[in-house]
Formats: sequence, structure tokens, C-alpha cells
Amino acid sequence: MGTVEYIQHHLTNNSVGEGFWTFHLDTIAVSFMLGALMIFVSMRLVKQMETGTPGGFQNFVESILDFVAVNVRDAFPGHNPLIAPLALTIFIWVWLMNFMDLIPVDLFPYLFQLITGNPHAYLKIVPTTDLNTTLAMSLTVFCLIIYYSIKIKGVWGYTKMFLFHPFGKFFIPVNIIMTFIEEVSKPLSLALRLFGNLFAGELVFLLIALIGGTLAVGAAALFWAPLQVILDLAWLIFHLLVITLQAFIFMVLTIVYLGMAHEEAH
Amino acid sequence: MTESNQKNSRHKHTIAPSPVANYLLIGAGSMFTATVIAGFIVGYALDYLFDTMPIFFLACGVLGFIGGAQKVRLLTKRLDQQATQKTEDKPNVE
Repeated sequence: MGTVEYIQHHLTNNSVGEGFWTFHLDTIAVSFMLGALMIFVSMRLVKQMETGTPGGFQNFVESILDFVAVNVRDAFPGHNPLIAPLALTIFIWVWLMNFMDLIPVDLFPYLFQLITGNPHAYLKIVPTTDLNTTLAMSLTVFCLIIYYSIKIKGVWGYTKMFLFHPFGKFFIPVNIIMTFIEEVSKPLSLALRLFGNLFAGELVFLLIALIGGTLAVGAAALFWAPLQVILDLAWLIFHLLVITLQAFIFMVLTIVYLGMAHEEAH
Repeated sequence: MTESNQKNSRHKHTIAPSPVANYLLIGAGSMFTATVIAGFIVGYALDYLFDTMPIFFLACGVLGFIGGAQKVRLLTKRLDQQATQKTEDKPNVE
């Protein structure tokens, strides 16, 4: 397998269907499993919760809860009991999906090929390197933005935003198109930012993995093998920061956009 | 009333920009790009609807560019306001 084939193979989803109705099975399965893991761990933690001196894991989860609560307090005007749980779910779920990027790129595809007996079986285990995942999440947030905008501002208030913003009452047709573009850009920027960062990160991991794949048997291996280990470790440590930051940004921008939907005047 | 007192009294009446603006600045760059892309998408949809390709595609692309630039300008302007306010908040040591 050549270099291009190797990269293409790792960036292809295991899918069924055709055209618009293509379902990426690996993306769906991994994201569901991570969601289930999150629910399972939360339920176990609730059962074992202590009121006195909390254990190590409970302490860790409480610190995440505090972190999210502080961010919601800072970025969200007013009160809505849905926002903090939503932000927490987004943060942890996106972080878990991003975390799959840190697993060695060949491990799961190789195991999957062994299990299925198909040496060319596709498996892409990072759901956030699939635009479908990030767009689905951002469109869900977008639906919430529209719902709360109409609920808080009323139908006329929301329509007024399209009619008179940003150029006033004399440019209504331009205002409608302009505001519509601005609204569409919200989910688009949310989705593309997360997808772009994670996809690029995955690609760098693949390029580093290729160093080992193209090892020359002989003395050159003494140079290339340690280089791959060092580069991989360095990128992994840096990427740990990237995945956390991207999960944080997705969460914070969700809170901010929902906060803007809750403001009376746009 | 001295000039610094005037400034302070004026400051009391201005509304401090919310920290939300700072969070939005995280994504100012991608917001600009996304607005341009959104412009082209909306334009493409309108052209598809009215069979006028490429009039709306280009016009909405330009509007997206203008909207994106305006959005980033507003965000950075709010940051400037905050910086100015912080300077004004510092006590006069003279």
C-alpha cells in the first residue's frame, strides 16, 4: 500500500447507502458508544456519591461541573435550567470524541480488519473528523437558538431582527439576506472549526505514522524509529491541549449564541 | 469639575461590555470565513430556487464578505471599548 492509499484508507468511513443517504456506521457507532459511556459513568457516580469527603473521581467530576457552571454564569445572561446541563454534555461528549484522536491510528482499524477477516475494511474512529457529526451537533444548537429567539423575543421580535438589522428600515431586502447569512454562519462556523482542527490533527498523526511505515531496514531505522516516537509524543501532548480547547470553544460558543438568543434586543 | 472627574462621571453612565464579547472573539476568524461561505450557500440556494445562476450566488457572496467584516469589526470595537474603560478606571496618581 502506497502513502496516498494509506492516508485515503484511514480517512474513509465505513459506510452504507449512497449519495445523500450515506450512513457512516463507524461515526454513528463510536459516538453512540461514547455517549453511552458518559451516561453509564454518570449514573454510577450518582449512585456512589458521598456527601462527606468525596473520593478522587467524584472530586474530578465536581471540578468539571464547577468549571462549566462558572462559564455559564459568565457568558449567559438570565436564567435557564437547560443551559448548564447542555453545556456540560457538549463539553464532555465532544472531548471524548476528540480524545479518540489520541489512540494510535492503526490500532483499531487493524483489530477491526482482524475481526472481520477483510484486509481492506474501513474504520475511522474519531467522530469529530467527520463533518456529519460536527454539523449535526451545530444544527441542533442552531435549532435551540431559533426556538429561544422566538420564545424570548416573540415572532414579531424575531422577524424585526431580519427586517431592520443591520442597515435600518430603508434596506429591508438587503437586511433580510444579510441577517439570514449571519444566522446561517453561526452553525457553519461552529461545525467547521471543530471539524477542521480535528481533521488536521488526525492528518498529522497519519503523516507521523508514515515515518514508521516507510522505515528502511538497516542502520537508517536507528534514526527514523526514535524520530517517529519523539514526534508522535510531542504531537500527542500538544493535541491533548487542542482537543480540550476545541471542546471548550464549542461549549462556550453554544452558551454565547444561546445567551444572545435570550437577549431582548439584538 | 476637573477633567478626570468629568471622565469618571461619564464612565458611570456607560454600560460595561459583557464578557460574552471576549468569548466571541475566540472564533472571530472562523466566523468571518463562515459568513462568506454562508453567503455563497444562501446565494446558491436562491439561484437554485429562481433559476438565476450566478446572480444571487455572487451578490450573496459579496454580502457575506461585508457581513463578516462588519461582524469582526464590531467585535474588535467592543474589545477596544473595554481596553479604554480599563485605562479610565485606573486611579489618577498625579
